[in-house]
Amino acid sequence: MDCQIDATLKGLKKLAKLLLCGTELVTNIQVAADIREIHRRVEEGEIRRQRLEKLENEVKTSQDKFDEITMKWEEGKRKRIPQDLWDMLNTQQVHCAGLIEDKNKLISELQQELKTKDDQYVKDLKKQSDDICLLLERMEEQVKNVMKTFRQELSSIEKAFEVERRELLTSNKKKWERALQAHNAKELEYLLSRIKKVEDYEKQLNKQRVWDCEEYNTIKIKLEQDVQILEQQLQQMKATYQLNQEKLEYNFQVLKKRDEESVVIKSQQKRKISRLHDILNNLRSKYTKQIRQFQEENQSLTSDYIRLVTQFKELQKAMRHFALLDDKRFREIWLMNEEEAKDLISKAFDVDRIIHTQHLGLPWTAPDFWFLRNVGPISQQQQRSATQILEEVLIQTEEEGTEEATSEAESYLDLPKQVSMKTTRKILMLLCDESGFLIESKLLSLLRPLEKSECYLLKLDAIFSALGIESEDDLYKLVNFFLKYRVHHSPSSQEQTSLMSALDPGEQTDLERQKEESLVGGEPEEKEVPPSPTLIHPNDVLKILEAFVMGLRKPRDPPAPVKVVKYVRDTSKDSAYWEAMATVIPYATQNLWDALYTALEKYHFVLTQRAKLLIENNSLEKQNTELQMLLQQYLDSKINSELHVPPTQVLRAPTK
Amino acid sequence: MQSMQATVATPTSSALSQFSTSTQDKSSTAGQTSSTGPQPSRPSIIPPRSKSKGWSTGASGGRMRRIIAEDPEWSLAIVPLLTELCIQHIVKNFQNNPILKQLLPEHKQKVLDHLSPDLPLAVTANLIDDESYWRRCCTQRWPVCHVAKHGGSWKRMFFERHLENLLKHFIPSTTDPALILDLLPLCRNYVRRLRVDQFLPPMKLPPRPRSGELSDSGSEAEVEEPATDHYQLEDLVAGLSHLEELDLVYGVKDCGMNFEWNLFLFTYRDCHSLAATIKACHTLKIFRLTRSKVDDDKARILIRSLLDHPALEELDLSHNLVGDRGARAAAKLLSHSRLRVLNLANNQVRALGAQSLAHALAHNTNLISLNLRLNCIEDEGGQALAHALQTNRCLTTLHLGGNELSEPTATLLSQVLAVNTTLTSINLSCNHIGLDGGKQLLEGMSDNRTLLEFDLRLSDVAQESEYLIGQALCANREAARQRAPNPSCFMSPITAKGPENPAG
Repeated sequence: MDCQIDATLKGLKKLAKLLLCGTELVTNIQVAADIREIHRRVEEGEIRRQRLEKLENEVKTSQDKFDEITMKWEEGKRKRIPQDLWDMLNTQQVHCAGLIEDKNKLISELQQELKTKDDQYVKDLKKQSDDICLLLERMEEQVKNVMKTFRQELSSIEKAFEVERRELLTSNKKKWERALQAHNAKELEYLLSRIKKVEDYEKQLNKQRVWDCEEYNTIKIKLEQDVQILEQQLQQMKATYQLNQEKLEYNFQVLKKRDEESVVIKSQQKRKISRLHDILNNLRSKYTKQIRQFQEENQSLTSDYIRLVTQFKELQKAMRHFALLDDKRFREIWLMNEEEAKDLISKAFDVDRIIHTQHLGLPWTAPDFWFLRNVGPISQQQQRSATQILEEVLIQTEEEGTEEATSEAESYLDLPKQVSMKTTRKILMLLCDESGFLIESKLLSLLRPLEKSECYLLKLDAIFSALGIESEDDLYKLVNFFLKYRVHHSPSSQEQTSLMSALDPGEQTDLERQKEESLVGGEPEEKEVPPSPTLIHPNDVLKILEAFVMGLRKPRDPPAPVKVVKYVRDTSKDSAYWEAMATVIPYATQNLWDALYTALEKYHFVLTQRAKLLIENNSLEKQNTELQMLLQQYLDSKINSELHVPPTQVLRAPTK
Repeated sequence: MQSMQATVATPTSSALSQFSTSTQDKSSTAGQTSSTGPQPSRPSIIPPRSKSKGWSTGASGGRMRRIIAEDPEWSLAIVPLLTELCIQHIVKNFQNNPILKQLLPEHKQKVLDHLSPDLPLAVTANLIDDESYWRRCCTQRWPVCHVAKHGGSWKRMFFERHLENLLKHFIPSTTDPALILDLLPLCRNYVRRLRVDQFLPPMKLPPRPRSGELSDSGSEAEVEEPATDHYQLEDLVAGLSHLEELDLVYGVKDCGMNFEWNLFLFTYRDCHSLAATIKACHTLKIFRLTRSKVDDDKARILIRSLLDHPALEELDLSHNLVGDRGARAAAKLLSHSRLRVLNLANNQVRALGAQSLAHALAHNTNLISLNLRLNCIEDEGGQALAHALQTNRCLTTLHLGGNELSEPTATLLSQVLAVNTTLTSINLSCNHIGLDGGKQLLEGMSDNRTLLEFDLRLSDVAQESEYLIGQALCANREAARQRAPNPSCFMSPITAKGPENPAG
C-alpha cells in the first residue's frame, strides 16, 4: 500500500513537472510573439516619428515653394510685357511642376511604404498562421505527451493495484480454501452423524409402527366390543325412549291442559297483580305521606323534646335552687324555733330554779340534755350513690364552663372533699377514655347520637358498675387512689405541693375550698390547682385501675341493690327532738308546779282580795275627802247666803 | 370422477373401474372418439365437458395449433403493446400535439428517446428538460461540443450556441430582428452566457467599398456612423433573466484579404447602447469586450455605466486602445465595485494610468487578478504598483509582461516578495530586468513562501538566478501541495490559462 502511494506521489510530481514544462513550451511562442510585437512597436514608433518629421520638413519646403510661387503670381500681375509674362508663367509652371513632383514623389514613397506594409501585413498574417500552426503542433504534441504519460501513469497505478489485488486474491483464496476444507470436513462429519441418526430413527419408527399396530388391533377389538355393548344399550335406550315418548306425550297432553289452566290462572294473577300494584302504589304514597308526616312530627317532637329537656334542666336548676332556698329557710326557721324553744326552756329553767330556790328552798341543779346543745337542724348525711356525684360533677363542670355564677353551686356542692372538682373530672374523663373496653358495645352504639356530657355520664356509669363502684366513698377512694398513685410514681419536684396536699387532705380541701370560693370558678383556679391528670400517663390508668379494684374488692360487701332515691330529709328525729324540747321539764316538777300553782293561786286570791279591799278603802277615803271638800266649797259659797235656807243649815241639820 | 364411479359401480368390478379410468384419461387427451363406447351410463354427464374441451383443442384447432406453434414468428409477444403503439403515435405527432408531462416516467423516457431533434424549438424549448434529448440536438448540429464550458447542461449549451450563431450572422437592416426576439421567450431561462466573437456590419451597397478606397476610415466612419451600427443587444439582454457572462467582439472573423478598417468599427452608438445594456443587466458577472478598438472615451462610457454594479466580478478590455484615461476610469471602478478580475492586456496604458491603478489597488480588498500585459507602464508605473502591493492583501495574480520594466522595479518587487504573502503568480516576461535585477529578485524570493509561479522569460535575467528562483518556486509548490493535498490545485491555473493561450 505504501509503495503504491509512493508511486502515485512520484507520478504526480512527474506529471506536474511535465505539465509545467509543456505550458512553458507552449507559452514560449506567446512570449516570443509578445517581444516581437514590442520590437515592432518600437520600430513602428521610430519609423512613424521619422515619417512625421519627413512630412513636416516636406510641408515646410513645399510651403516655402508655394509661397514663392504665390509671390511670383503677384509679381506677374504687374508684368505688362507678354514675353516676360510668358517667361514667368513658364517658370511658374516649372515650379509648380517641381512642387507637384515633390508631392508625387512623397506620395509614391508613402505608397511604396504602404505596399511594403501590405506585404508586411501579409507576411505577418503568414507568420501568425505559422505561429498558430506551431502552437497547435506543440499543443498537440503536448497533449499527446501528456496523454501518454498519463496513460503510463495510469497503467502503472493499475498495475500496482493489480498486483495488490492479485496478492489479496491469492491470500483470500487460500483462506477461502482452508475454510472450505474445514467446512467440508465438518459437513462430512455432520452427514455421517445424520445418517446414523436417521438409521436410529428408522429403527425406532419401525418399532413404533409395530407397537402401534398391535395397539391398534387391541383397541379395535375393544372398541368393537364397546360398539356391540353400545348397540345393545341403544336398543334399550330406544325402548325406553319409546316408553318415555308415550309417557311424555301423555304428560304433554296433561301439561297442555294445565297450561291452559295456568293461562287462565295467569291472567287472573295478572289482574290480581295489577290490582295489588295499585294497592301497593296507594300504600306507598300513603306510606310516603305518613313518613313525611312522621318526620314532621318527629321533628316537632324532637324540638319539643329539646325544649322540654332545656326546660327540664332549667326546672332542675330552679328546683335545686329552691331546694337550697328551702333548706336555708328550713334551717332559719329551725334555728328561730329552736331559739324560741331554748328561750322558753331557759325561762322554764329559771322559773324552776326560782321556784326551787325561793319558793321551795330546795337546791336546784340545771338539767343536762343532748338537745340543748344542739344547734341547727338534725341532718343525717346520707350516702349518695356514685352516679349522682358523677352527674353533679359533670353538670357542675359544665356549668362552670358556661356560667360564671357558680359560687352558690359550689357552696352547696360538698363533693370535693379532698380533691378539686376539676381534678376529679379530669381523672374521670381519663378513666372514661381509657377503659372503654368495660362498656358494652351495644351501649356504645346507643350512645353515639347523644351529647358529649351525657355520653360521658352513661359511659362512666357503665364503667363504675363494671368496677363495682357504687357509693360516693368509693368514688373518692378511686380519685384519691389515683392521686396517690401519681404521687408515688411520679414524685417530680414541680409537683411537691400537690404531693403535700394529697398527704394532708383535710387542709388541702379547706384550702381549695377557700380558693374556689375566692376565685369564682375562674381561670386562675386552673392555674393554681395542679392539673394532675395530665401527669397520669394514659398507659398507667389501667394499672392503677387494676390495683384499685384489687384493693377495693376485699372490704367489699355483697353489692346492695342500687336504689335511685332522691335525697329526702329524714324528719323522724325532728319530732322526737321537739318532743324532748317540750318535755324538758319533767312531770314531777310539773306536778309540783301545779300544786305550787294552786297554793300560790289561793295565796294570790287572798292577796288580791286584800288588795281590792285596800283599794276600796283608799277610794272611799278619797271620796270622803272629796266630799268634804265639796261640802266646804258649798258652804263657803255666797249663794248660801242668798238662799232662804242655807244648805249648810240643812246639812248641818241632817248631820246633826 | 373416479370416486363417483366407485360409488356407482359394484365393489366386485374393481378391474373394470380401473379400465374405465384409463379410458377416461385417454379420452381427455385424444378427444371424444372412444369416450362414447364403453360406458353407456356416463354420457349424461361427460359429453358436454368433453365437447367443450374438444372445441378449443380438438377438431379443427388440434392440427392448426401444432403448425402455428412451430412457426417462430407467430407469437403473441410479437404484436406490439398498445402502449408502444401509443408512444409511437405520440412521437409521430409530437409537433402538433405534444404530450409528455402526463405520461408515466418510463413512457416519457421512451418518447424522449424517439423524438426527432429537428422539432421546432417553440414546441420543445419549455417542454423538454431531458438532457439526453438536448445532447442529441447538440451533437447533430455541431461536431465539437464542450458541455463543460456550458455548466454541464446540454440544453443550456444548445440555446447559448444557437443564440450565438444567430447573433453572429445577424446583419443589421437586412435580417429581421424578430428572428432573435422570437427566440427570446424560449431561451430566456436557459441562457447564462453570451459569447459572440463577431458582429457583422450592415450590408453595404456594392459601389460603396469601391469608392471608400483603402484609406483610413476615420473620416469616412464619421460620415457613415449611423450606417455602421451593429446589432443592438439591449432588448435581448433585458429579456435574458439569468445572463451572467457577456463576451463580445465587435469585429469580423475570417475576413482574410477582404480586410477593411470599417469592418472593425465600434461606433459611439454601439458603445452607448452597450453601456445601457450592461447597466440594466443586474445579473451580469463577467463582461468581456476584446479586440474592438475601444479607446479612452468609449472605455470611460462603458466603465461609468458599470460603477456600483451589484454583481460584476470580471472586466476584460484586452486588445483595445485604452489609454491612461481609460486606466484611470478602471481604477475608479476598482474602488466602486466588487471587481475581482481586471484584464487590460495589450492596451496603451502608460505610467500615469498604472499609477492611478496602483493607487486604487493599494487599499482594494476585492481584486484578485490584474493583467497589464503588453502595455507601456515602464519603471514609474511598475514602481507605483510595487508600492501598492506592499499594502495590498488581496491580489494573487499579477501580469506585467512586456511593459519595458527594468532594474528599479525589480528591486522594489523583491522587497514586496519578502513582505507580501498573498501573491501566488507574477509574470515579468519580456522586460529588461537585467542581471542585477534578477539577483535582487532572487534575494526577494528567498524570503517568500507563497509564490507559486514567477515568469521571467526573455527578461535578460541570468540563467543561474532564474534557475534558483525556479527551485524556490518548486519548494513553495511542494509546501502548498502538502498544505492542501488536492492535486487539482496544480491543474486549475493551467486549465484556467488554457483558453487564454490561443487568444494571445
